[in-house]
Amino acid sequence: MSARSSQLSRRGFLGGSILFVAGAAVGCSTDPAGGGPSGAKTTLNVWSHAYGEAGTQQALTRYATAFTKANPDIAVKVTWTPGDYSGKLNATLLTDSAPDVFEIGDFSESLARQGRIAQLDDIYGSAKSDFNPGARDMVTVDGKLYGVKTLDDVMMLYFRKSVLSKAGITPPDSFDALADAAKALSSKKTKGLFVGQDGLGDSAILSVFSNGGDLVTEDGKAGFGSPQAAEAVAGLKRLHDDRSLLLGFTTDWWDPAALTQNVVPMQWGGLWSMPAIKTALGDDFGVLPWPAFKPGGKPVVRVGGWSTCVNAKGKNVEAAKKFVQWLWIQQTDLQTDWSQSYGLHIPPRMSVAATADKLTQGPAKETVELAAKHGRNNPSTWNTAVSSLFTAAAAKIVSGKGDAERLLADAAKKAQGEIDKQRA
Amino acid sequence: MMKSAPPPTLHHERVGCPAAEPRGTAPVRRTRPDRRAWGAFALLAGPLLIGLGLFKYVAIGWSFLLSLSEARGTIALGHWVGLDNYRTLLSDAVFRKSLGQILLFTVFIVPVTFAASLGLALLVHRIRRGRAVLRTAFLIPAAVSYVAASLLWKMSLFNGLPSGIANTVGGWFGMDAVPWLQTTSPPLYWVVLITLRLWLQVGFYMVLFLAGLQGIPKEMYEAAALDGATGLRLLRRITLPMLRNTSVAVLMLQFIAAFQAFDEFYNLFNSGLSGSAAAPIRTPLGYLYDTAMGSQNYGLGSAGAFVLTALIVGVTLIQGRLTGFGKGEE
Repeated sequence: MSARSSQLSRRGFLGGSILFVAGAAVGCSTDPAGGGPSGAKTTLNVWSHAYGEAGTQQALTRYATAFTKANPDIAVKVTWTPGDYSGKLNATLLTDSAPDVFEIGDFSESLARQGRIAQLDDIYGSAKSDFNPGARDMVTVDGKLYGVKTLDDVMMLYFRKSVLSKAGITPPDSFDALADAAKALSSKKTKGLFVGQDGLGDSAILSVFSNGGDLVTEDGKAGFGSPQAAEAVAGLKRLHDDRSLLLGFTTDWWDPAALTQNVVPMQWGGLWSMPAIKTALGDDFGVLPWPAFKPGGKPVVRVGGWSTCVNAKGKNVEAAKKFVQWLWIQQTDLQTDWSQSYGLHIPPRMSVAATADKLTQGPAKETVELAAKHGRNNPSTWNTAVSSLFTAAAAKIVSGKGDAERLLADAAKKAQGEIDKQRA
Repeated sequence: MMKSAPPPTLHHERVGCPAAEPRGTAPVRRTRPDRRAWGAFALLAGPLLIGLGLFKYVAIGWSFLLSLSEARGTIALGHWVGLDNYRTLLSDAVFRKSLGQILLFTVFIVPVTFAASLGLALLVHRIRRGRAVLRTAFLIPAAVSYVAASLLWKMSLFNGLPSGIANTVGGWFGMDAVPWLQTTSPPLYWVVLITLRLWLQVGFYMVLFLAGLQGIPKEMYEAAALDGATGLRLLRRITLPMLRNTSVAVLMLQFIAAFQAFDEFYNLFNSGLSGSAAAPIRTPLGYLYDTAMGSQNYGLGSAGAFVLTALIVGVTLIQGRLTGFGKGEE
């Protein structure tokens, strides 16, 4: 190399290295998100997954700042987590840097049974009855509340009014009618229905519900192994045989692009997409539940959403509870802002939902009613191990690889072991 | 730089050239510089070794202990279950199927990648003009991340729409639009998987082969040509034998890469919400990811990691024995 670099003595190099390491250490330990005011005694670490809608991250930070204003001794640091949220969360929960407060998508009761999240009955107070029953049930384990639902996300069937009426098709009210409509609306180049890139999405879960079945029963039995569930899942094969499903679209069902870009006239989607759909299609769309599989079955919409939990093994359990209570139970105006100003969601507090003016008319109002009437959520034992068994069986069934009853019964038998271990 | 820098050699010596010290005094003064050298060595290599030990070997050891424990939602040891996890794993049809599928994948992808990269290297080595340009062009995909490439393949090249690139090209020849990743009979998703991996890897192995080709002395070809050898004979008698060491190393790298396949399978078949259970093919690593990161069954996940490691080590050893890796030219 050059002569100049050879002038760098060994000692100089070492000194430089130490400076570099020290600098890096200081750099890493400095809180990039900025703590709160210096007077704060505790700093809460709050984890959130990366919401897609613009402004959500700023909103959460704003709520945190407002909380610190009201409680100067507690600072709140919001950790925005893009990517595989549950994977990162699960890994972090095993370490000392586990967040004090974190949200989870599908509530998992094993977290409560393993003593990893705190019981929150005391912070609900009189507001408990104001949370819609579904939002309470979802976070209830053995009669105790272990989380606070922050958003209800409703998933339902969107359809293009103009396309259906042009083809002389009435909005389908039974599974057969849905399959007929999807077939009638398909041609060689276009498809009638989009349920997911893999042709499965939520449809297998919906089928089980729509035939009056359960994925996991109240008392923890894998219900999807029943003949009744098998009949409904096997029914989905027709959509595949008819070639009326859109497969391999560029985005998955949670994105409304297939509908808004005129690729399909019917799509399974979420309430969160409704603002975007409205912008693209105006009034030319309607919403439906997934229809009953056969007479005697039940139409169904899926209610998911996010719940916030307090890490029971954290150092600041009391402060964390205080934050959750302040934001997700007391601050009804912030809850309105959170569910209305960015994407469109239903606030789990009924009194807040009643004042949400974006939900009081048109398809949004219909969706709220559908959710109240037909809403189902995934059971809280529906973890990856259990759901994978079910999904893998369903994927085989719809592609005609094996007998539905046997596949689902086998999967349910295996899943039972996984469910029992979660409930132990 | 050289010109502007001060030239004194004395200064130079003081810094970096201990050999210039008077030889006579060396035996007396040896101990001190040695200790200092050891100190510097420890200081420089220490962090690396500690890091390696802490983050690799302690982690591997811990993981082994975990594989003998029931560890759900925790990585704490204590609940020993012996070989239960291994038993569960090997009796699980899904894991066994994933092993079968990865073997199938390996048996197919390794020879194809090998032949393609060797062929490409031979071609690029031959041409006189624009060799550097071509070499770079073929190598560039190796710098693309698996995730980015998978998304490109999934969303743009091989999507299920008639307007997708593969379907458009198929349309010129009268083919119907097909959903490439979702068609299981015939299993068209293999087309996507194989082309993606070839695109990403062939350039890299081609460069390894090129390096090997450049190491073959020209005289050998000249001598062979004088003896009347041409074309295919040159390739079989001179080029391939001389490339033996490179070939063996490339084969080993390809085996390991194939067994560790995860990124493209995960990204092509995972939708983020429905998980990867509906995927027509799941690699062992995909299974382990779902087990450990999804269901948080760290005991079972660790056991799987060791089974897979044993498989890779086993195959590599067998391959080394068969091909005589590391024995050098005879």
